[in-house]
Amino acid sequence: MPKITINDRMYEVEKGKTIIQVADEVGVQIPRYCYHPDIGIEGSCRMCLVEVEKAPKLVPSCATPVADGMVVRTGTARVQQAVRYAMEFLLLHHPIDCPVCDQSGECWLQDYYMAYAQHDSRYPLGEKTRRRKAFDLGPKVKLDQERCILCTRCVRFTKNVTHTNEIQVFNRGHKAEIGIYEDAPLDNPYSMNVVDVCPVGALTSSDFRFKVRAWFLQGTTSVCAGCSTGCNNRVDHSTRAFGGAIPGYTATDGKIYRTVGRRNVEVNKSWLCDEGRLSFHTLERWPRLVSAIVDGRPQDAAVALETAHRRFEAIRQESGDNAVAALGSASNTNEALFLMKKYFKDRVDFRIGGETELYRQLEDDLLRRLDKHPNTQGAIDLGLDGELGGLRGLCEKAEHKEIRAMWISFHPQLVGDDPRESIAGLRRLIAALDFSVVSTTHDFDWARKASILIPMAAWSEEKGTYTNYAGRVQIANRAVMPGGDALPLHVHMSELLKLQNIQVTRNPSEIFEWLGREASIYGSLDYEAIGLLGAVPGKRTADETREVVR
Amino acid sequence: MTPVKGGYAVDVPVINVSDRARREQASVFSTFKAFGVTFRRMFRSLFKGDMPTISYPEQQRPYSERFRGTHILTVRNDGSLKCVACYMCATICPAECIYIEAGEHPNPEIEKFPQRFDIDMMRCIYCGFCVDACPEEAIVMSREHHQAVYNRSDTIYNIEKLMQRPGIAAKGPGYRPNVPFAEARIFDPATQKECPFPSVVDERHPAVLYESQINKRH
Repeated sequence: MPKITINDRMYEVEKGKTIIQVADEVGVQIPRYCYHPDIGIEGSCRMCLVEVEKAPKLVPSCATPVADGMVVRTGTARVQQAVRYAMEFLLLHHPIDCPVCDQSGECWLQDYYMAYAQHDSRYPLGEKTRRRKAFDLGPKVKLDQERCILCTRCVRFTKNVTHTNEIQVFNRGHKAEIGIYEDAPLDNPYSMNVVDVCPVGALTSSDFRFKVRAWFLQGTTSVCAGCSTGCNNRVDHSTRAFGGAIPGYTATDGKIYRTVGRRNVEVNKSWLCDEGRLSFHTLERWPRLVSAIVDGRPQDAAVALETAHRRFEAIRQESGDNAVAALGSASNTNEALFLMKKYFKDRVDFRIGGETELYRQLEDDLLRRLDKHPNTQGAIDLGLDGELGGLRGLCEKAEHKEIRAMWISFHPQLVGDDPRESIAGLRRLIAALDFSVVSTTHDFDWARKASILIPMAAWSEEKGTYTNYAGRVQIANRAVMPGGDALPLHVHMSELLKLQNIQVTRNPSEIFEWLGREASIYGSLDYEAIGLLGAVPGKRTADETREVVR
Repeated sequence: MTPVKGGYAVDVPVINVSDRARREQASVFSTFKAFGVTFRRMFRSLFKGDMPTISYPEQQRPYSERFRGTHILTVRNDGSLKCVACYMCATICPAECIYIEAGEHPNPEIEKFPQRFDIDMMRCIYCGFCVDACPEEAIVMSREHHQAVYNRSDTIYNIEKLMQRPGIAAKGPGYRPNVPFAEARIFDPATQKECPFPSVVDERHPAVLYESQINKRH
């Protein structure tokens, strides 16, 4: 293990790492544009220069592997001067159109200019080289060549990560520019990651472009609910209602504007697929269910829950405990499914399609998986794949009047459309039951047939844990408030349990602790241990946990 | 009135309050004395025209060139809206009264324009920060401050109202940057019948200086 000294402190580091990787680990800040931990090393921007003792010149820290006895200094006068010159070259032909640039506010050029350069340009604005502005690279990404600093992060992304090679550097020297071939637009399922990796405003997302300025957004760490991979992401949503009393525009807090990949080497590196990234738009596809509906009339949610509880109890007394069951969803959190299991006395299933068959299958070898539910493994861990037999089995049991009353929880699939057979099966199930409660996020017409409709919070509107296909438990935080009377399912369930005289907290972390005591596989975990990056419960074998995405 | 060390000059008039109170006691004579003052002022204003007040709505005082009244959105020389929807005004606004929705401009050199630009005039505090923040001199203020309306929702001014409110031209602009841009001008309905909106520009925006070069390259 080589020992190196950075800024008069000695560190023992792994062999083969580069200086910038070590600096990132120990918390020494080195500016960089072209270096990104997940897409390979280029060494073109010359921002990460550091002084190494006995080296004749400054060395790029992103491309220099550590060696034993190396003495590295960052931020010396010589380094600062070099970085200032590098910044001056990078900004030489920059159009300074920050007011209309979408990256402004989170632009590395702005940050590093303020931190390291602060020079006056030697080029008058009118004489700068002009290039093509704002043209489509593909359906989801736009390129502005004037703002590009040729760090080639996007080129290396399409080369090393997606292996599609759409983006290339054309021409050489001062004529070099990023572009695509005419017949090959940037249209791969991971194309919008180039917007994330672009440190400047050259690549912008067509979806997010001009919607809102970056400084109006607040980020909440979350987990994508688009499929069973459970990619870590950050949900950017508005916090501030601007516009005064302008009708219809005061309630801008609580709107999701975009999701951005969050680095987790074990799960998704830094990437998100485009479907998952844009999956929050699915929640805007149908009108939301804003109040409980009992027999076709809007009703207070607490009253509706009490009515439901009374009917469940009556049917339990008439036909026994087995006549009441529940159909959870593999998009519900572990906490909600656990409380559901408590209230319905283990008579809970979650399979409406072929989740268990699909959830370990890949759709591609990067991130996307065939099972489009985030918590299939969690439901299996809770033992919900029991003898009830999924949606088909429940339908048969309902038609034979073995089951007379049910609670059905339904989340629409965030990615893709819900299978028609599932919806048809749910219709059939509701028609066969004597009494049915449907808790759902949106106002679906098939759900209107149910006796009671309860509004439920959707993804990003509730806090809870999901267990991904590899058994990794991850926390999705609440980013925005659900509309109307909608509440997370675990809150509805805790209210129901209270009616059964079981006092239950609404706090998801405490519910998870209870879950850990009952479902022994989660016994070693709590919210603190799960943290930002998730954790794999200790009981799983190493081989199972190793099966992460490459 | 020469100051004396350690105190005031001797000839400073000393008002004996109790004396004055005794002298100005309410009596018949003081009543007539007061009438005298009233009539003197009345005749002076009637016949000599020495009047401190004006008949307000018909007559108005000139305001300062830096008066911060109702906002104006300026236009380019072709009459299209100058605003590029950069949200600087909405960001700085302490009353949070500006609402902007940006759109993709057909000209990639301009890139961005406001599809909506609403100011809630009831909420605005006329601080002028939006004018200071604007990088394009697209928003300036006028010397107009009459905003009486019959309906509360009429106090929310949209783009059309902020661009071409009648009466702005007569009074002239108010608060605007010290070094005005040459091409930021106020929309004039007399010379220009309709405003192109959304604006497509043939005329040269500062960003379009080297359009010919770009065409040559591509």
